[in-house]
Amino acid sequence: MMNLKIKNQLIKIVGENRFADKKENLLSFSFDAFFKESIPDVVLFPVSTLEISQIMGVAYQENIPVTCRGAGTNISGGSIPVKQGIVLCLTKMNKIIEINTRDRYAIVQPGVVNYDLQVKLAENNFFYPPDPASYTISTIGGNIAENSGGPRCLKYGVTSDYILSLEVVLASGKIIRCGSKNVKDVTGYNLSALFCGSEGTMGIVTEATVRVVPLPEARRTVLAYFNDLESSANTVADIIGSGILPAAMELMDHMTINAIEDAASLGLPREAKGALLIDIDGPEESVDKQVQQISEKAKSNGAVNVTLARTLDESEQLWKARRSAYSIFCSMAPNIIVEDATVPPSKITEMIKGIRKITDKYNLRVGILAHAGDGNMHPIILGDIQNKEEWHRIEEATREIFELAIRLGGTLSGEHGIGLAKSKYLSLMLNKETLEFMKALKTMCDPKGILNPGKFV
Amino acid sequence: MKEKEIYKCSKCGFCLPKCPVYNELFDESISPRAKVQLIKHFAEKDIVATDNLNKIVSKCLMCGNCTANCPSGVRHDSLFMRMRSGMIETLGDHWYVKAAYHLLCHNDQLNLAAKIAKFGHNVVLKNLAQEIKIGNIPVKHLPNFNSVPFRDRIPQKILPSSKLKGKVLYFTGCGTNYVYESVGRAVVYVLEQMGFEIEIPGEQVCCGLPIFFHGNMEKAVPNIQRNIDIFDRNDVEAIVVDCATCGSAMRNEWITVLQELGFDTESAQRLSKKVKDISEFVFDHLDLLKPVLNVNSNDIIVTYHSPCHLRNTQQVQHQIESLLSSLPGVSYCQSIDFDSCCGGGGTFFMDFPGISKKIVKKKIDNARQTGAQLLATGCPGCRLNLSGNMKASQAMKVLHPIELVAMSLNK
Repeated sequence: MMNLKIKNQLIKIVGENRFADKKENLLSFSFDAFFKESIPDVVLFPVSTLEISQIMGVAYQENIPVTCRGAGTNISGGSIPVKQGIVLCLTKMNKIIEINTRDRYAIVQPGVVNYDLQVKLAENNFFYPPDPASYTISTIGGNIAENSGGPRCLKYGVTSDYILSLEVVLASGKIIRCGSKNVKDVTGYNLSALFCGSEGTMGIVTEATVRVVPLPEARRTVLAYFNDLESSANTVADIIGSGILPAAMELMDHMTINAIEDAASLGLPREAKGALLIDIDGPEESVDKQVQQISEKAKSNGAVNVTLARTLDESEQLWKARRSAYSIFCSMAPNIIVEDATVPPSKITEMIKGIRKITDKYNLRVGILAHAGDGNMHPIILGDIQNKEEWHRIEEATREIFELAIRLGGTLSGEHGIGLAKSKYLSLMLNKETLEFMKALKTMCDPKGILNPGKFV
Repeated sequence: MKEKEIYKCSKCGFCLPKCPVYNELFDESISPRAKVQLIKHFAEKDIVATDNLNKIVSKCLMCGNCTANCPSGVRHDSLFMRMRSGMIETLGDHWYVKAAYHLLCHNDQLNLAAKIAKFGHNVVLKNLAQEIKIGNIPVKHLPNFNSVPFRDRIPQKILPSSKLKGKVLYFTGCGTNYVYESVGRAVVYVLEQMGFEIEIPGEQVCCGLPIFFHGNMEKAVPNIQRNIDIFDRNDVEAIVVDCATCGSAMRNEWITVLQELGFDTESAQRLSKKVKDISEFVFDHLDLLKPVLNVNSNDIIVTYHSPCHLRNTQQVQHQIESLLSSLPGVSYCQSIDFDSCCGGGGTFFMDFPGISKKIVKKKIDNARQTGAQLLATGCPGCRLNLSGNMKASQAMKVLHPIELVAMSLNK
C-alpha cells in the first residue's frame, strides 16, 4: 500500500483528475488481454514528458514499481502490474505532433492509436506498415514496447524497422533522446533498438519519430482453399521459396475457418481443411501478374479453389474477420492460450504437423492460424484454467511446442512478447551468458528494478 | 446463463475504439470491457455498490456499439441494464429519474404533466416533464410541447386515400405524442397516400425503455405487457414505429426484460417480428411510394444521423440512406461520422453534460461540413440533442426522415 505522503506528491504532479486510487477505478487497470490480473496502488494519466519525468523522480526516490500501459491489448501480460505500485496510463498523450511526407516521418506521442495515425497518413497517401491485429485499438507506444508485428510485416518488417528516434524517460527520471529523423544514422549506438521491444522494463517512451512509406498503388486479396492443412503450408513455403513476396499471407485451419464463419458469416467454405488469405500490393501492372503466379502455386500444391476479392470492401471484410479470430476463439472456451512461436518458412509444414501431434497427445482442442509467410505460428489452445488437470496438460503441450520451434531453428515469440506468459521458457532459447547480459543492460537502465518488475527480466 | 455472459469477455479491447465515451476520455475505467470486469467483481462480491461505482457504470450512452462490434458476442447492453438495476437497489435513484419513472408508467399523469408544462403554470413540473424526454439541452432550446397530445387529436382509425394496399398499427412513442406532433402527421399522411389503413390504438403507453435501460426492469413490465396485449394482432401487416428507441425496445429489449424476469415471451417474440421502423417500412414499399412522389420537388442537400438504436439493434441504416437518396430533388450527402452516437443517451446528458456536449459538437460540425440544409434522423432523442445544441448561426434544420418523405409527396 502506498502512503498518503507519496500519493500527495503524485497528485501534485498530475492533479486530482488524472489520479485514481479507488478500487473500482484500479480494477480496470489490473488486466490486459492476458488472463492474469493484479491491482495497482494508483493509476496516473500523465500528459507530458515533464510530468512523467517528475513521476519517475518520486518513484525512484521511494522505490515504487511503475508499469506503463497503452490500450492494454497485449496478450502476454506485459501491462499487468504484478508488483502493484503505479500504473502509468499514456492514453491521454495522444497527439500526432507532425507528419512530414517530404522527409517521410511522423512524430507522435505514445498514446496515439495506430489506426488514427494510419488515417492521417492515408490522407497524404502514406502509411505506417506495422499492423498488429489490435491496430484499431493499440497505441504506438504499446507497439514500440512490444516491437509489434502483424500480417503485412512479411513484406514490410516489424515496428523496430520503422523507429527513427525516441524520447525516453529513464527510471531515474532523466530524459534521453535516441536516434534522429534520418534513416541513416550511426551516430553512437542504435539505442532505439534497445528500447523497442523492451516491454517497459528499461525506460518509458514519451515521443516517437517513426518512418512512413508511400501507400502502394494497387492491392489484391486472394483466398485459396485446401482439402488438407499440409498442402496450405506447402504452398506458403513454395511461394516464399520461389521469390514472390506477398504483403501478407495468413494460414487458417478447419477450426479457424468455421469459427470465423460462425461469427462473421462471410460464406467461407466450412468443409475446407486449410485456407490461405493472401494480400499482394505494388504497382498496378505487377499485382495481377503476382496474383497469377500465386494462384498457380496454390493450384499446383492442391488448392481446390482460388478466389480473388472483387472489391476493397470484400477484402476488408476478410481481413477484419481474420483480425477478430483471437476474440472469436475467446468466446469458445473460458480461457485460451495463443502462442506465437516462429519458424523459418521452409519449416512450417513440419511445425504444423508437430503442433497437431503434440496437442493430440495431450488431448487438447486447438485452432491453428499463422502469419505463415514469415513462419509466425498462432496455435490457439482452448481450455479452462479452473480445470487444473487440463491446464497442466496445456502447459506441458506449450513447452513441447516451444521446444519443437527451437529445434526447427525458430524462436519463442514472433510478435506477442514475453511478458508474464513466456518468461519461464526464456532459458529454452537464450543461454546463461545471454540472459546475464540482458540482466546487466536492465540493471544499468533501471538499477532499482522499478520498471515493469516481475516480468521476463 | 447470466454468469456466463460476464466470462465470455476476452478483454481483447475491440470495444474501446467503438465506445463514444472512451473516445472522449481515453480512460480505461469507463470502457465497455472494464465495465464488464467491474460487473464480474461485483457479482463475485469483491466490490460493493458505491457512488463511485455507480458513476463509472452510468458513464455509458447505452448506444450498443460495443455489443454490435464484440467478436466474443458479449451482450453488454443487457449486462449493463442488470448492473444498473443492482446499483439502484442499493443506492436509490435521482429524484428526476424517479419522477420520470412515475410519469412514464402512468399515462394519465404523463398527459397531465405535459399539459401543465405546456402552459408553464408550474416551473418544477415543466422542468420535470422536459427532463423525462430523451433530450438534454438548455430549456430555452427545447421544442414546444404539443398543445394537445398527438393521439388525442387524431382518429384511432384512418382509411387510405386510394385503393387499400394493406393495414398497419402505429406505435407513436412519447416523442411524437408530446413533442413532435409533425412527425405523427407525416407518418399518417405518407401511409394513407401509399394506400395503408392505419390504426393508432389509444390505450398504448410508453414503451418502457427509459425505465428498464436505467435499471428498473420490474417497473417497466406493466407497460410492456399492456402494449403487447394491444399490439400483438394477426390482422395487420406491420406495426410501424417512428422512434428508433421504441422500435429497439419492441424488437429486442421487451423480450430480454421479460425473459430476465421469468415471464413468458411467446407473444413478445411474435410481435417483434412485425415491428418496422416507419422509414424502413416505406423503403420496403418503395413501389407504392413512387407513384405519389412529386417529381418537381425543390433541390435540397440532406445529410443523415444514424440513431444507435436503429443501427445497432435493428440493423436499419442503409435502407434509410437509400430512401433519402430516392426522393426527388434530394441530394444525399453522407457525413463522415453519420453512424456514431450523438451523445444524448437517455439521461446521460444530465449526468455528464461535459462529455455529452463534446460528442454532439463534433457531430454537428461534421454534419455541417457536408453543406446540408437538412439533417434527417429518426429518433426524437437524437433530434432533441442535435437541434438543442445547434447555435442559431448553425442554421440546419433537423427533421425525421418521414417528414422529408411527406414534403416530397404530391400535394
